[in-house]
Formats: sequence, structure tokens, C-alpha cells
Amino acid sequence: MKRSLLKEIIIIICISVFLGFTVNFFSPNKIPLVQDYSSRYIVDSTSSDKQKPVRQYTKEGFVKPVNVKVQDVKKMFDEGVVFIDGRPPEEFAAGHIKGAVNIPYKEFKDKTTEQKLEILKAYDKEKPLVSYCGGGDCEISIDNAYEMAKAGYNELKIYLGGYKEWEELGYPTEK
Amino acid sequence: MNFLSNKYFLLILRLIVGGTFLYACLDKLLNQELFAKAIFNYKFLPDVFINIFAIVIPYIELTASVFLILGIFKRGSSFVIIVLLIVFIISLTQAYARGLDISCGCFSLETVSEKSDILLRIIEDIFLLIGSFIIFIKSKTIIKQERQQ
Repeated sequence: MKRSLLKEIIIIICISVFLGFTVNFFSPNKIPLVQDYSSRYIVDSTSSDKQKPVRQYTKEGFVKPVNVKVQDVKKMFDEGVVFIDGRPPEEFAAGHIKGAVNIPYKEFKDKTTEQKLEILKAYDKEKPLVSYCGGGDCEISIDNAYEMAKAGYNELKIYLGGYKEWEELGYPTEK
Repeated sequence: MNFLSNKYFLLILRLIVGGTFLYACLDKLLNQELFAKAIFNYKFLPDVFINIFAIVIPYIELTASVFLILGIFKRGSSFVIIVLLIVFIISLTQAYARGLDISCGCFSLETVSEKSDILLRIIEDIFLLIGSFIIFIKSKTIIKQERQQ
């Protein structure tokens, strides 16, 4: 009895492993077996240089958003760069970086490219936009930046520290 | 509790559990990259295993749910589903407890998910777990009965 259960489980797993690797091997959307996820959090140090850093592209062909250090974020804030807050409207209303625009990721991601461009039409595609969210474990800043970059915005910056860090540093906020 | 052994009750239960699992794995099958990211977001698996899990797990769900619906390897497939559900419940609970602002990657792979969503998924998974337990236990007794006859 026990043996047949084990046999059934092994057969199910073998079929799945075989199917999974075979389909992934031939799939146009295949993913590598091992991927480096740490790069999602690497903060770009060249962004503060006066020289324009070389753009990196994703494999889908759009410009990769860059994570920036808080000092550089503050510098951009002082220069009047547009800040995009990806959190839901209620959280945005409870407090956000001064002058930030609320584009909730939850709704934004399901829009068509045309709709996305319509929402972002006030901003220059070649000028920086800073994407942030709540900070901490929040990843909306990253995802929102990628959505905007995919729509054709070439100077997306991600501020991982988010509202939490900004507020703790005593930088300008508003409600 | 006699109805638990009822043939039709068990069939319906298998269709519900298998159907839910089948539905839930389709999105993951089509968007493995997003599923990998969802696993990454749970922050409990070493990076090297993330993509391998993202490749294999949806197919385990697919195989087990199709088998369960068709009634092939009822015990094996319900057992696999029980194990998966326990893993899902544990990871959801720890994500909920840590207050991770994540997508659960349960049904659709949308990235933002409210805490209440996660709680709902946990409850849902517990119901599915109870269902698969009944299938697992009752499939065994049915085989026994058949043998006795």
C-alpha cells in the first residue's frame, strides 16, 4: 500500500520535472535555471556622476530603470525631478514626498501602453522620473518603474528607501 | 459522516480541488518569470533554487490536478496536493506575519496584494487542504472495500 503511494508520487514528480524542463527549454519565454536576484537591489553608483551613465537595456529591449542612492534622490528632488508614488491612493493621502504624483501600480499595470502614455503624457520621456513606494519590503517602486520604462520612458530611477526613509531623514513631505 | 464515503461526494470533491488547482496553475505556467519573482518575494528560498522551483512546481500542480480530476493515482495526486497546500499555507502565513507587501502568486500573479487578500488565500487553502485530506483517506478505504469484495 505504502509502496504504491510512493510510486504514484514519484511518477507524478518525474512527469512534472520532465514536462517543466522540456517546455522551458523550448519556450520563447524561457527562464534561466539559476538567476541572480541580488541585482534587483544593487544601487547604481554612477548615477551621481556628471557624466551620463551608459544605459542598460533589458532583454525585452527597453531601458533598464536604475536604483539610486538617497543622496542622489535628494539631489533630484532639489532639481525638481518628478516623483511617482506607486502606492494605493489611501496610503498616498496619508503622507507622501512633497510634490509627488500618485500613480498606483495596482491599476497602472493593467493599462494598455496607450493608456499608460496618456497618464504619463505630461512628462518628458528623456527626463528622469523617480519611482518610490513605502520602502522596507515594498517592491512596488521597482515594478512601477519597469512598467513605465516598458511604456518608453528612458530615465526611470528607483528609490528603494521609499517614503519611510524619506520621512525618517526629515525631508519635505506633505499630506 | 457516512456521506464522506459517498462516491459522488468524492467525485465532486475531486473536481473542486483538482479544478481549483488546475485553474491556479495556468497563470503560473504561462508567466514563469512572474512566478519566479513571486517566489523571490516570499524571501524564504535561496536564490539558486528559485527558478528551478518556478519551472517545476506549476507542472507538479498541473499533473496532480489533472490526475485528480481524471481519477488516476487518486492517492498519489491528493498526497502531492496536500504537501503543496501545506507549503503554500506556511509561506503565506509567514508572509502575513512578517507583513510582507507581496503578491501571493496564488491565482493570478499580480504583484500587489493586500494583507486581507493573503488571509483569504490562507483560509481558501485550508478548505482545499481539508478536501484533499478527505479524498486521500477515502480513496484508501474504497480500495480496501473493493479488495474485500
